[in-house]
Amino acid sequence: MNKFLIIGLCFMISHSLFATDDMNHDHKGHVHGELIDGKDLDVDPDRYQNFLKDLEDCQIAVVSVIGMVCDFCAQGIEKTFKKDRNVKKIDVDLSKGKVLIAYSKDKAIEYKEIEQKILANGQNATGLKIININ
Amino acid sequence: MHKKGSVLSFIRILLNYVVCVNIPPMGIKKLLFLILAVSSVAEARPISYSGGSTLMSHSDNMRDSLYLHYSPTYKYSLGLEAVKDDFLSSNYSYFRLTYLLNRKNTQYSQRNLYFQSGVSSKGIENKFYGLHGDWETRRWFAGFGYKKVENEIIDFEDQYLQIGLAPYLGEYGDFHTWIMVKSKKNDLLNNWSTFPVLKFFKGNFLIEFGYNDRTEWDSHLMYRF
Repeated sequence: MNKFLIIGLCFMISHSLFATDDMNHDHKGHVHGELIDGKDLDVDPDRYQNFLKDLEDCQIAVVSVIGMVCDFCAQGIEKTFKKDRNVKKIDVDLSKGKVLIAYSKDKAIEYKEIEQKILANGQNATGLKIININ
Repeated sequence: MHKKGSVLSFIRILLNYVVCVNIPPMGIKKLLFLILAVSSVAEARPISYSGGSTLMSHSDNMRDSLYLHYSPTYKYSLGLEAVKDDFLSSNYSYFRLTYLLNRKNTQYSQRNLYFQSGVSSKGIENKFYGLHGDWETRRWFAGFGYKKVENEIIDFEDQYLQIGLAPYLGEYGDFHTWIMVKSKKNDLLNNWSTFPVLKFFKGNFLIEFGYNDRTEWDSHLMYRF
């Protein structure tokens, strides 16, 4: 049975040597947009534009999250935020570690509240940027 | 065929017990299909998000089990596991507690260490406890588990090591695949067994199975809700 272990290890080592390392992500095709206050907005522009479809008169919370490594993490976050009736739409980008949340305009977005919800799911929020959409 | 038959019988007995209806043997395959279609498992996910529940099934050369747990917080889960123990030729249940001892989140990884325990429906003398850990990125997985099982007939230890690689990185909602190698040892069999494992998941469902000629099938199914 050790043959399987050896074959598996050889495959993994060769893969890691020759495959592109997705963790050192390529910025080709991505942009680092800039907000009005001069801060960077490190989101995938295509994904962001797709998220904005059908949205108007709302505010977007772009949350940076660490520890999101699989769909189960994303599902938990999605389910947690969807319980809030002020949330119109949510999108989780695992590769960029970003969660986009569209809130109704009258919602006072609080970083502490978002941080707690992310933590309840077992991940950590590390930053928040808010964009107003008219 | 014998193994398959015993699994079907176990599920039929379990369902007879749980829902208190007599299920004919011929109907169990349809019921099993329904259970598999709406269930799943993985030791790598012993705790859900706050308020989340998970249904798991596990089958290997020693035992078959069906396990439902609920996580009041992301720190711990409580659950009930129905076990058909092939080695001890016994059926019983475990009241289980899993506690997250340590978690380290980074930009691209998560590392966990869990304490796991269970007390059998047969009494406090029948129990298990141990540690379970994993480290995972979207590309790589490594995990281990150690469990001490005590019962009125014989005490033994269960250990395993597992490493894995995702051959491609899917987006959230895609069909995900993992190629893994698992090594496990049970005191009662007194040897390490190493075998390839495939893991697939999409949405709330996860299936993981491995096979070798010594330990036969090792399978996990999971459904999270």
